[in-house]
Amino acid sequence: MQQFLTDIFSFEDRPRFERIGFLIFLLIVLIFPWIVTSAYGRAVMIKFLLFALFGLGWNLIGGYGGQVDLGQAKNVGFGAYATALMIVWWKVPFWITIIPGMVIAAMESFAIAYPMFRLKGHYFAIATLCVALVWKELFIFWDWTGGARGVEIPIRSGADFVYMQFNSPIYYHYFILFLFLLQFYFMNWFRKSKLGYEVQAVRDNEDAAASLGINVYRTKVINYTITGGLGALGGSFMAVYYLYIDPDAVMPLDLSILIAMTVMVGGAGSIWGPIIGAALLIPLDMYLGAWLGAQKRLGIDFMVYAVIMMVIAAKEPKGIWGIIERLRKKGEVGG
Amino acid sequence: MKIKKLGILSFAVILSLLIFLPNLSFAQKEVKIGVILPLSGPLAPIGKSLKDGAELAADIVNKKYPGIGIPIADWEGIPGLGGAKIKLVFSDSRGDPAWGAEQAKRLIEDEKVVGLLGAYNSAVTKTASVEAERAGIPFVNPDSTSPDLSKRGFKWFWRVTPHETWFTRDLFDFLDGLVAGKAPGIKAVPKSELEPLAVAAENTEWGAASLTEIEKFAKERGWKIAEAFKYPHKATDLTSEARKLTASKAPTYLFASYIADAVLFVKAMKEMKATPRLIWGQNAGFIQPDFWKTLGADVNGIASRDVFSSVLGKVKPEADRINKIYKERSGFDFDGSSARDFIGVQVWAHALDKAKSTDPKALQKALNELNISGKELIMPWKGVKFGSPFPGDTNQNELGSGIIIQYQGYPDGKPEIVFPFEMATSKLIYPFAGWK
Amino acid sequence: MKKKSGSCLLTAEVFFRKRDEMELVVQLIVYGVLMGLIFALIALGLSLIFGVMNIVNFAHGEFLMVGMYIAYLLSASLHLDPLFSLPIAGLAGYLLGVGSYRLLVHHILRGPMVAQLFGTFGLMLFLRYLAMYIFTPDVRSVKQGILVGKTLSMGWISVDASKVFSAGICILAFAAVYWMIYRTKLGRALRATSIDSEAAKYMGIDTKGMNAFAWGIGGATVALAGALLAHFYYVTPTVGMLFTLIAFATVALGGFGSIVGAFIAGIVIGLIMVVSGQLVSELKFSFIYIVYFLVVVFRPRGLFGW
Repeated sequence: MQQFLTDIFSFEDRPRFERIGFLIFLLIVLIFPWIVTSAYGRAVMIKFLLFALFGLGWNLIGGYGGQVDLGQAKNVGFGAYATALMIVWWKVPFWITIIPGMVIAAMESFAIAYPMFRLKGHYFAIATLCVALVWKELFIFWDWTGGARGVEIPIRSGADFVYMQFNSPIYYHYFILFLFLLQFYFMNWFRKSKLGYEVQAVRDNEDAAASLGINVYRTKVINYTITGGLGALGGSFMAVYYLYIDPDAVMPLDLSILIAMTVMVGGAGSIWGPIIGAALLIPLDMYLGAWLGAQKRLGIDFMVYAVIMMVIAAKEPKGIWGIIERLRKKGEVGG
Repeated sequence: MKIKKLGILSFAVILSLLIFLPNLSFAQKEVKIGVILPLSGPLAPIGKSLKDGAELAADIVNKKYPGIGIPIADWEGIPGLGGAKIKLVFSDSRGDPAWGAEQAKRLIEDEKVVGLLGAYNSAVTKTASVEAERAGIPFVNPDSTSPDLSKRGFKWFWRVTPHETWFTRDLFDFLDGLVAGKAPGIKAVPKSELEPLAVAAENTEWGAASLTEIEKFAKERGWKIAEAFKYPHKATDLTSEARKLTASKAPTYLFASYIADAVLFVKAMKEMKATPRLIWGQNAGFIQPDFWKTLGADVNGIASRDVFSSVLGKVKPEADRINKIYKERSGFDFDGSSARDFIGVQVWAHALDKAKSTDPKALQKALNELNISGKELIMPWKGVKFGSPFPGDTNQNELGSGIIIQYQGYPDGKPEIVFPFEMATSKLIYPFAGWK
Repeated sequence: MKKKSGSCLLTAEVFFRKRDEMELVVQLIVYGVLMGLIFALIALGLSLIFGVMNIVNFAHGEFLMVGMYIAYLLSASLHLDPLFSLPIAGLAGYLLGVGSYRLLVHHILRGPMVAQLFGTFGLMLFLRYLAMYIFTPDVRSVKQGILVGKTLSMGWISVDASKVFSAGICILAFAAVYWMIYRTKLGRALRATSIDSEAAKYMGIDTKGMNAFAWGIGGATVALAGALLAHFYYVTPTVGMLFTLIAFATVALGGFGSIVGAFIAGIVIGLIMVVSGQLVSELKFSFIYIVYFLVVVFRPRGLFGW
């Protein structure tokens, strides 16, 4: 038992400065709603945590697994719809609704995985994109899920812990922080676990991994299944945070791409990558969009965004974490 | 090297703090109203019209414009607030409900607006108004037409424009009127010449709602539908959808389309030499300047639901004067989009004046009791008064109405009003003459 | 007597229904092939680029958009017939492709595939919003031209003249590219680079130049397709994404790197689009994606791919 707890919480295998950095980050996030009282600032922080959450889940397949998945939004959609529909139809408490959401997402991923992993590289990426788009069109087409008109969750007053509806952003902040930490420590356990090593071995060299006795196919499938389930968790949050979901809001291509991008910019394959990526891109998007978008001519905010992406792609494909690691190594060699 | 590590660390910390610091706002002498509109993305041209309309209204409220003939033109700022000027704070919704909600939050708490206006896309209005409802800040909606919006029982949401149910009723009143011989300049049309109907609707929230309403009314009023389907509005090609319409052999085509698909449909129908007797569009794409600019003479004979037409100047001189000013500034005639947000700002101006305060509760009371006479509006409405015109509605303007226009004489023509029949500005072109 | 006329009427009805059905099928096939050839041309560039250097260009649809705007601008300001803007669009596409390669793509080639993907994705966003900034999101279209808005009637079926012309140009373009790749020295160098760029380098082939050339041809063909599309399709900054997705499905179906594959797959996708538009319009894109999915699962390299 003690070993299990250590596996989840310990970062002993990482350099001390990372551990300290994370603790400082955690501290800032914990006291954040009390030092920043602007509604927008709090909303940005919540969105940042949400995308860090998405990113951690995606990192499993995209980072540790080394397979670019451009369809994570479908899993978000499954979670969001499971939660929203169960609340609206049967008044099921929130914490129970996340289970069917994650299970459905995981099962769908499992079913899709067998045919999909016959593909590699770009073929795989485009296939994930197609699958997600098909699901989105289906959700628009189906009337029983509300179709294009979406699902509206009725407003409740006061702080409701059964349906996780609050009128102050502070509650949502700790709510998403809690979910984030859940996934974060899960990732910490994962990267040190047997499955985690197998996944990374397969990513680095499939043939070598196979020769070591790893069942490559099975590893990939399990990895993808877990990624699916994790994506749904963020979707369930979105349903009760925005109180209105529709296929364009919770399963669009743009969301899949944004999730993949935040991790890639931050540094895929490292536990810090999703956090760094979200910390850079989300506030940038929200503030540039708000300050420049309507007041100045259209398009400048996205152009800036795009240039940053291209520069990172060209200069440091391993993302920001790659830059940090590089600087650190230089430092070490210099003595 | 420990110093270097510490340096990187502290830099990261400072950077993250800086990124999250709030946007400071200054104390304002003006009255700020937050306006959420789709200013980027595929609906951006409509967003621009809406914005231009709103800005014109704010300007007319804030400055003296002699000779227009409506009360707000004589104002210089809001009289009830000692001449405080209206300042519109625009925010791009990107057509995304989640983003729109974030912007609503920002406008309410950081910009400290006294109220909100917007947001055109019904889905965005849904989420943005939830934020207003939670915060107890008034949200005035002049431009979203999904019937759902006024059926939620919200206490901080007022809708100025008529919604889809209304407009669909107008359509069927028009069709029934044609059969009864009430249409201007033409004899009674036998129902068998117009039946059955064929309907094509784009598949977002708006199109889906339109389709449902049309099917409902058709059943109620006894009109047969041969073909009714939804299509993806981002389609690259609509020839087979157009083919479905021609294959149904229906003589009346009804559309709920945005600009790009509306244009594609007309082109496809022309390509196929389709021969409907009546073509009607449900606003949106069919009334945008780009529609007739792109298609030129091909739009002649096409009818569309609208809320405003520049030819209204013939029956309402105030509309004409406003149109002149608007055209000077933007290069386009006033249309349904710009007109709706114009009235939205007008409603706000009257509410602020009536409340004599920017306190939310006072504004809520003022809006609930608001009664603007039709004479003060540039729309051909009876006025603005919020109530329950259809079952389940709350805070819905009871005195609004729609019109149906028909393009005549393009590329140099005007959208003539053909419904309500009493307000018709020209003979109805019937049957549809086809394309050259 | 009654019976006979009754059965006569019946046969007449059946005959007309059958004729209607036949008409429908022929119409669908014609429209599908016409659209499909254009999809094929759009996909050609994407396939070429991938064949030579294993990179997927997310900004492909934006190159198309540039071609469309060039045709539009030349028509609107100089009243140049869009036919004459074809070579200009092609040239601009070539320069854009080469420029993109030298300034961006060359530097992201050494990174992992993930970085390549989002490098070109950044390019896509940049081009799209640059166009939005310069041209505003207004929908525009080309209004005058020899072929604009004219329809060709072939019996009871009529089609847009510019679509027929475009289809013809597509076939020519394919023939030209195919000839270049398989019958010229330049093409051989290109093929060598795509098979093994290391070995090609040792053989004295300027691989960097070959890569740039591939991007140039890719950009040129898709910009050309854009100028053709502008004859009958609307021009707006966001038009790129739609076609990028269709191009992806087309290339994957035909097989990355295969010219013949792009040609055939384009036609297939066009047919699917038109048929599903007839059946269940809302899901027509889904049908294309499902078909792609089934093909790559049972034949992962697509129909003709590497």
